[in-house]
Amino acid sequence: MDGEFCRINCEEKRKERRINLLAYAAVNVFETLLRVVPFPCRTGVIKIGAPDKSSPVFLTGNYHLTVVRVSRALRDIDCYLLVANSRGYNVWCGAAGGHFTDHDVISVLKTSGVESLVTHRDVVLPQLAATGVEAGVIRKKAGWRVIWGPVYARDIPVFITSGFEKTAATRQVDFALGQRVEMACMWAFPFSVIAALATALFWLRIVLPLTVLIWALSSLVFLSFPLYSSWLRPGKGGTAFSKYTVVFDFSRVLIILWSVFILGLIIFYLFADGLGRWSIFRWGLVSFIIVLLLSIDLKGSTPVYKSGLHADIFLTVFLDKERCRGAGFCEQVCPRNCYRVARAKHTATLVGSRRCVQCGACIVQCPFDALYFTGPRGEILSPATIRKFKLNLLGERVAGVGRNSPRRRR
Amino acid sequence: MSTYILMKVLESAPRRYDRGIRILTCGKLDRAYERLAAYIKRGQLVLDLGCGTGALTLMAARRGAHVKGIDVNPQMLEVGRERFQKEGLTEYVELAEMGVAELEAERSASYDVVTSGLCLSELSADELSYTLREVVRILRPGGLLLVADEARPRNILKRVLNGLLRFPLVVITYVITQTTTRSVEDLPGKLRDAGFIVERVRSSWMENFVELIARKSGRSGV
Repeated sequence: MDGEFCRINCEEKRKERRINLLAYAAVNVFETLLRVVPFPCRTGVIKIGAPDKSSPVFLTGNYHLTVVRVSRALRDIDCYLLVANSRGYNVWCGAAGGHFTDHDVISVLKTSGVESLVTHRDVVLPQLAATGVEAGVIRKKAGWRVIWGPVYARDIPVFITSGFEKTAATRQVDFALGQRVEMACMWAFPFSVIAALATALFWLRIVLPLTVLIWALSSLVFLSFPLYSSWLRPGKGGTAFSKYTVVFDFSRVLIILWSVFILGLIIFYLFADGLGRWSIFRWGLVSFIIVLLLSIDLKGSTPVYKSGLHADIFLTVFLDKERCRGAGFCEQVCPRNCYRVARAKHTATLVGSRRCVQCGACIVQCPFDALYFTGPRGEILSPATIRKFKLNLLGERVAGVGRNSPRRRR
Repeated sequence: MSTYILMKVLESAPRRYDRGIRILTCGKLDRAYERLAAYIKRGQLVLDLGCGTGALTLMAARRGAHVKGIDVNPQMLEVGRERFQKEGLTEYVELAEMGVAELEAERSASYDVVTSGLCLSELSADELSYTLREVVRILRPGGLLLVADEARPRNILKRVLNGLLRFPLVVITYVITQTTTRSVEDLPGKLRDAGFIVERVRSSWMENFVELIARKSGRSGV
């Protein structure tokens, strides 16, 4: 009897797990295709497993897909997950764009009721929130200690078993194949839909090849990323310092993409029957526009490589040895592993400033203001400026540097 | 480029906030704020929750009250500061970058009046109940809470009609000014639950906009 009950029970559990997995997959596919749109979900506290008064507390933004993924990564851990209001954006974009701030973190800590659920006051925040959420402010205003968690939720179980310590690998942002496939889909889907809707009315025949072209080109650009990523560094010296030269400086990436496009055109010419010169030109132009849009999009602010969209790439992070006491927050939050901290000697060293992507997370978090940016002419951007403007796509934090520097004013 | 243009538009949005709100609320917000501000007396200490660019803060300050305006958006506050400088009212006004969850820092029974224009509807359910609890704490006995906000019509027909009429307005306003508002359900009930005595409720015919005068129990010290 007991065995029978267990068998039914187990089968039901397995069935339930299968349905959960199916739902999880469906949500992932749907929201990846529509990733350009923010998907806000309910804020507040989520109970995972059977947590008690000493269970760990994790926090993330209210982008629905993030919450789904983090909940899944935490499914075997008894804990609380706090969902803060990041306006439906993912953690990185929310924090870097000023949509996910100290206020949002304090708000969920104070109003969700978590303070009566646990006796400790430690909260694990996603590392990529460090450009926009300041641990010191959370401590001062809300009385909670921020522990910077790993970049990816999948590393949380290991993070817990190793006593809330991260390794260099779990601090680093990679742009792995899976993520690149997601990026290609999130780019290709909305653009192909828009292109199809725009052309379907007057030129139905073009819809299918146009859709194929958009999907093929975006897959090509994102999947081949490791091949050209080493060229995504700004040129040395002699760079004009203006927002617009940066915007229109497509550097070498475009040349590579351009040659790929030429190659594609030749292949097209070889395999397609009765293709006239006019239609080659037409398809050439269309694919050029697609490649152009993609390459500009690739130049946005990422934690993986330097952005080509604003003048921040000309900033260099500077470590003031006099002020540094080796607290090590820089090492905890840097997505590029630029720092090495000697705990015993209480010093930090900047070992990989060439890898720096100017996200500014280290500067925002340093409790001693030992870090700041310097401009190309030695101008200093104070930690206060970086904290105020965060990583700003418009480059407001460097506004003072470019325009008012002595040599330019004349 | 798409991202770049979008960010450029969004970041200049605070400058267009007031215009956007005026379009979205068809100008009725200014009149509502004036009616609320009429309850504020000279010399009173007022806290304006979610002051934004300071529209309601300004009306309170013009009546000779000392106002602290709080908001989480520093760009909005910057616009507000410029406005008060122009009006020459800076000595009556203090603007602080602060969220409703940070009201803990305010002393108990220290304010005569708390005002809130289009702020309570922006809050999650958790935040709203927390805020109302905190407002009860920081108000003096007999102190007033003055609210103007978008509401969700209770009549189902009006709710549908409101949705239909509002939708194009929301789209147009968002396109021009990247501003939008949300609505809150049964605000008078929620204020009563928090321990307020709701003295006056003024609802628009469509029931999509509500003005509330609520009082904290106890004798006024003034």
